[in-house]
Amino acid sequence: MSNVIEITDLTKRYAGNFALKKVELVVPVGVTGLLGPNGSGKSTFIKAMLGLVKVDTGSGCVLGRTWPAQVKSIRDRIGYLPEDDCYILGLQGIESVQMMARLSGLPTTEALRRAHEVLDFCDVGQERYRNVETYSTGMRQKLKFAQALVHDPQLIILDEPTTGLDPTQREEFLDRIHALAIRFEKSVLLSTHILHDVQQVCDQVIILVRGEVRLADSLENMQRPLQAGIQVRVVRDAIRFADSLRRRGLGVQCENDTELLVQGDASLIRKTVWASSKEEQVLVERMDAARNSLEHSFMEIVSEKNYAHP
Amino acid sequence: MPILDLGYRNWNGDRSSELLRWTVVATTGISLVWRGTWLKRFMLFATFPALVTMFGVGLFEQAARDDTYRKMFNGFLASRIEPMGPRNRMRSRVANRPQIISETTDIATQRHLAWSHMLLWYFRYPQALWIVVVIGLVAPRLISYDLRSRGYLLYLSRPLSPTSYVFGKACILFFLLAMITTFPAIAVYLFGLLLSNDPSAFLQTWDIPFRILLATVVLVLPTSAIALAFSSLTQESRFAAFAWFAVWIVGWVTYLVLTGSAMFNAEDAIQLQKRWLMISPYHVLGQLQEEIFGVLPADQHLAGPWILCAAVSIVGFGIARWRVARMLKV
Repeated sequence: MSNVIEITDLTKRYAGNFALKKVELVVPVGVTGLLGPNGSGKSTFIKAMLGLVKVDTGSGCVLGRTWPAQVKSIRDRIGYLPEDDCYILGLQGIESVQMMARLSGLPTTEALRRAHEVLDFCDVGQERYRNVETYSTGMRQKLKFAQALVHDPQLIILDEPTTGLDPTQREEFLDRIHALAIRFEKSVLLSTHILHDVQQVCDQVIILVRGEVRLADSLENMQRPLQAGIQVRVVRDAIRFADSLRRRGLGVQCENDTELLVQGDASLIRKTVWASSKEEQVLVERMDAARNSLEHSFMEIVSEKNYAHP
Repeated sequence: MPILDLGYRNWNGDRSSELLRWTVVATTGISLVWRGTWLKRFMLFATFPALVTMFGVGLFEQAARDDTYRKMFNGFLASRIEPMGPRNRMRSRVANRPQIISETTDIATQRHLAWSHMLLWYFRYPQALWIVVVIGLVAPRLISYDLRSRGYLLYLSRPLSPTSYVFGKACILFFLLAMITTFPAIAVYLFGLLLSNDPSAFLQTWDIPFRILLATVVLVLPTSAIALAFSSLTQESRFAAFAWFAVWIVGWVTYLVLTGSAMFNAEDAIQLQKRWLMISPYHVLGQLQEEIFGVLPADQHLAGPWILCAAVSIVGFGIARWRVARMLKV
């Protein structure tokens, strides 16, 4: 199976307004970032995939099953982490995860065993024996993640999963997503506003704007620069360093006081950059092949510079 | 830190049928509500009237063998039937029911009637009150809590439809109500069979367990439907609880006020009670139970309560399902 989702002609209207407009979409195996401004139809798309909202038109295939006809069978194979803060009042964390496993058809004892395993994986300690309403936002996110994973789904849909997590927890969370994709061959659809998260774990990116797919491409293609070059990060004095490089005949764009983009063939200009660094006594912290900024691409697509308004 | 962290592992076991996933909603709900101390106390108290009914059945069987107990049983039965109101008093007089086993009566022909009366009393008086209390304690939070904490998203993102979700929630009430009506009533029946010391007793009363089941269904379906509908209409369970008790109290009091003026004239009372029956859920259910246990004279049968009962059940569950499905809209 090369694609986890193949959807054609998906339309959903709320009171005459298009939430999704004739969406044609293919989500390949791997980690896919679903981006878009607020109200672009990301959540509607996810809920449509799960059969939680009735669509006006649309057909396709999700995880090899006919969508929307076999939506219940599809739900059994999808792990969904909702954006909303949702929990069952009165249940302990462990019971909550066990219940979700049982709802996905696992036998009671097996569900409890899996719940413990997955909570360990999500780094939930003894808090699992506390009632869920006493959890902090970060703990609830971890709990929802465990609930999404407990039945070992093929596709994991995460709607704003890193909201409310501190930077350390966020990095750990992204590491888990990465591990699930690489070591356990899970496909992940990550809906988020945080472009850094997408950059860190995604292979593909889909950008939805006003209910339409504006871009569906690999992250690598999106970040490929229009011009070859090197992205250089220095400790300080990037402006002075840029002047020095210009004097050596290189094209340089200074992005801020620590980062600059040196244009040209990387294999040819690298030596010049090192020589100039030595001469100017500027400490180079990092040197990468130049990439287009995802933020820049996203802003360009969302601001509709290249797209006519429908 | 876990003692043994296995990390994430794939799972390839067999899954249960999608058609049975509502049982998870029901069993989780039952285990959750069962943590309430007050509910446990109420459920314990709710079994006590079954002991009184057992005593009545035992007394009847004793009277069947020993004439000295006949007077005592007649008194006991009369005291159970007396609270049924002027209509029933009159009906009882017509059918000579307080003197259910006179000196000349054949016990075998009266066993069915006597047991039915005892069970009707059990359903109609103590258990009707317990049903109102237990549902009022449990039902208001069943859906409203999920609406408040958006827990319905967790349920419905699994292979569960809004209909199965509502059915699962209703099963929590069905179970609790069966615990305080069906199971004790069946126990009373079995107790009677054991005490009768007469194999023909089963042949005379074989239909009573079915009547008990039907009486339970008639009690449980509309009451659960109303309670779940109220619960689904608000995120504040106290509003749902208020609405639940208000329906019973207002209906009952209004009925008594409207029919009370003819309290001492049995014929007028019957007419007035027929006219205003539908405004009191308690009296509508009472009428149905009398029919089910076969103690209602043929000329007293009414179609209205049956239709009302079915309509309330359909509309109540329909409202609950509609509200849950509606919450899914983004």
